[in-house]
Amino acid sequence: MSPESEKQGTEAPVPNGTGASGAGSGIESDGARVVDADAGDGRQTGGPWAIAWRRLRRNKFALFALGVFLLIVICCLLAPVWANNVADTGPNTTHTLEKLHEGDEVKEVVEPSGKSIGPQWFAAGGKFFLGADGHLGRDEMVRLLYGGRSSLFIGIVAAVITTILAIVFALLSGFYGGWTDTVISRFMDVIWAFPVVLLSLALGIVLAVGGLQIGPLHLKGSSLWIPTLIIGFVYTPYMARPLRGEILALREKEFIEAAVAQGAGPARIMFLEILPNLMSTIIVFFTLNIANNMLLEAVLSYLGAGVQPPSSSWGTMISEGFTALYSQPLLTIIPGTAILLTVLSVNVFGDGLRDALDPKSKVRFEARSGTADTEAIGPV
Amino acid sequence: MKKLPYFLLVAALAAVLAVGLAACGGGSSSSSSSPSTSEGGSSENEGSGGGEEAEGGGSEGGTLKGAYTSFPDYMDPQISYTAEGWTAMRPVYIPLLTYKAGSEEEGAEIIPGLAKELPKVTNGGKTYTLFLRKGLKYSNGEEIKAGDFKYAVERAFLTNSGGSPFYTDIVGAEKFAETKKGGIPGVKVNEKTGEIVINLVSPRGTFENELALMFVAPVPQKTPDEDQSASPIPASGPYMITKSEPGRGWTYERNPYWAKDNGKQMTEIPSGHVDKIEIEVQRNQSTQVNDIESGKLNWIFDPPPTDRYQEVKEKFEGSQFKEEPTISTYYFWMNNTVEPFNNQKIREAVNYAVDPAALERIYTGQIKGTQQILPPGMPGYEKLELFPHDVKKAKELVAESGVKDKEVTVWTDTESPNNDAGTYYQGVLNEIGLKAELKILNADNYFTVIGNTSTPNLDTGFADWFEDYPHPNDFLFLLNGENIQSTNNQNFSQTNNPELNKKIDKLAEEQLGPQQEKEYGALDKAFMEEAAWAPYGTRTLALFVSENVNLENIIWNPTFETELTSIELTE
Repeated sequence: MSPESEKQGTEAPVPNGTGASGAGSGIESDGARVVDADAGDGRQTGGPWAIAWRRLRRNKFALFALGVFLLIVICCLLAPVWANNVADTGPNTTHTLEKLHEGDEVKEVVEPSGKSIGPQWFAAGGKFFLGADGHLGRDEMVRLLYGGRSSLFIGIVAAVITTILAIVFALLSGFYGGWTDTVISRFMDVIWAFPVVLLSLALGIVLAVGGLQIGPLHLKGSSLWIPTLIIGFVYTPYMARPLRGEILALREKEFIEAAVAQGAGPARIMFLEILPNLMSTIIVFFTLNIANNMLLEAVLSYLGAGVQPPSSSWGTMISEGFTALYSQPLLTIIPGTAILLTVLSVNVFGDGLRDALDPKSKVRFEARSGTADTEAIGPV
Repeated sequence: MKKLPYFLLVAALAAVLAVGLAACGGGSSSSSSSPSTSEGGSSENEGSGGGEEAEGGGSEGGTLKGAYTSFPDYMDPQISYTAEGWTAMRPVYIPLLTYKAGSEEEGAEIIPGLAKELPKVTNGGKTYTLFLRKGLKYSNGEEIKAGDFKYAVERAFLTNSGGSPFYTDIVGAEKFAETKKGGIPGVKVNEKTGEIVINLVSPRGTFENELALMFVAPVPQKTPDEDQSASPIPASGPYMITKSEPGRGWTYERNPYWAKDNGKQMTEIPSGHVDKIEIEVQRNQSTQVNDIESGKLNWIFDPPPTDRYQEVKEKFEGSQFKEEPTISTYYFWMNNTVEPFNNQKIREAVNYAVDPAALERIYTGQIKGTQQILPPGMPGYEKLELFPHDVKKAKELVAESGVKDKEVTVWTDTESPNNDAGTYYQGVLNEIGLKAELKILNADNYFTVIGNTSTPNLDTGFADWFEDYPHPNDFLFLLNGENIQSTNNQNFSQTNNPELNKKIDKLAEEQLGPQQEKEYGALDKAFMEEAAWAPYGTRTLALFVSENVNLENIIWNPTFETELTSIELTE
């Protein structure tokens, strides 16, 4: 692949935003390189990633959301540290008959009436920081952190699966067209025809009981991979179809013709010519997918078809807390808030990312901020 | 001439209007819903009284609205084997013999049902002769025949009912259970006289009790030999099920042939107070409580959820809430035929590790800790404490057994707190060195799934057992290896000790007396020494009704729990 064709190849998705200069707009050629040159008319130039980054940096709200998300991720990653060094218990360890000593005061973790201890903050050295869950007396904070790991794992890994499947299907379908396109598109239509929750619920229930056997690979019904694969699978058409649409448009562009004329094979055209031009769309989809996946995981776990007890996820914690909603609403509110914060932060960041990557978003960005996007290059 | 018809028309309209207004007003009057006028027409009473004044301040008529947390296992008399199913079908299907609608000991008394009188037992306890009452009809108008009883017994085998082992002592029943062909020769009927003669292979001391079970309640002989939960079988009792939607709910109306025919003969069986009963499946138990408080529901099958139990108890005890003891055992079964539970040391270890006190708390005091098969209140019960809680000892036993990190599956259902009990149990197994995985199944089909021996990974799990009749055999037969069935199995632990099987069989032949009670007590101990189960408690249940239900008059039968026929709505 010649550098020229690569440059050409990048003009398709970003041309409106970078049309003033074909040079330097190649994502894959310039990558993250920030070309901070002055175009001579007061406008700054640079590669599309650099422009996107500059735009994103100016969107403080999106950056704050990213910060919140990263903070949540870090906290969840540190779950074992909290469990072993502060709470001194595991996420599934029950404390039904235990008593908590706070100075002279002795509190039962679970009262004979079945009501569990409420948030203790640091009164017991960090034990039962957020209280205990229901009759089993498990540490709510430890379960929240471990549950977050499950929820984030499913959210992110399922988004990766969706992205990979969607890219492969969309490339094959959009590039080859004909029968390949018909078969793949109809397959996507079949999945699309089912409501996401119902389809994933049906799959979740079946696989939670019997597990999943793919050749020599056996996944137990309680494996986190089961909901992850299901969620990754059911969302595939929702990403693959828009990507296919973009590919159909890109396929007709001159730079593809040029690549063909230069003797590039289909794989090379798909992965080195077309795919780089889809990156901005893919990144935005990927980000927003994480939020959707986490919500779907919560729904499935709540309905018993996602993460299987006693493993915790924020969805299972809501489900478990729901049985004590009347006397201990915090058991539902806490994981619910965690989901809300995470999904909101991912969505706000994803929205910011879309604004930053989508050249057409300048108008929206200006309209929202009330200022001209002076770093934007070229007319919209 | 023209004015007169016009005047007449106006007068006629005015009269119609007046009658209409009067009718509207009369809808809530106390004369609108007597039982005799109830057929298809009293639903406007909607959960309120408004009928004839009954003794005790209640009133006749109205629609009772109730809720279950899950649909019964089956809505079919031959197959259902849960308290949910039996409570629901008690006023619908009457066996030849039945239990008196009473509480405690009175409720354990056997009285004639469709049979004229209690059976005549001859031939050394091997022949039972009964006569069907004459002129009885099903709710579809069809005559109840003696052959319907024979068909009911056969249908219990044809449907692989969990209750069929009660009847394998009938001559030819065992062969019929295998072949499902040729009928059961041990049951002979005479349609003209209504005579029913049952010949047993050997005497069976519990047979009268077993004739009073729902499994052999006569049904029309054209009833298909498969689950009829969605197509209610015609009723012989005071109520008929008019609509049944598995998973959602069902509705009763009065059996039109009860007042005319059946009820006149079976005077000891109450006719019920309300005209219509609507039961919905409401999965959220907290919503059930709210609906009772607001009057949307009048009665709930399950006790208030653990989350709200204390609050409801404190607020409504005596007026709308009361606790009722049950003759029951809650336990963890361990499949004696598979590793690691085929090792007695492991089973003993589990018994040492399970802490009834912790489970009492998980059940918010609604169970009382026990560690044996026979529950308190059951003849033959003698308190045993073979496995005082000792995790250290449990770990030692596991170490001695040589089992390490063995993967096992723990089964439980979704109903709270059974799900928490399962989670607790999984933690206990992990603590003593096993690798336990939890499977939580929907309560609607939990026992059907674990009762199917071909279900994979049936290692261990939760189960409970409420008495079918006040006889220790009703608990110990669960551990009789001869009763293991491929479907609808009740011997979840698949315990099969030939020596103890023989003892159960021998005792079952004898009438219950002090000596037999002693021997049943010894059998209980023998099974617990083998650590066949890990029992952890006996249940207290609660009755919670709306303000307009007469709590005082509700009968809590030891076998059928709430007698639906005893619920009456106050005005």
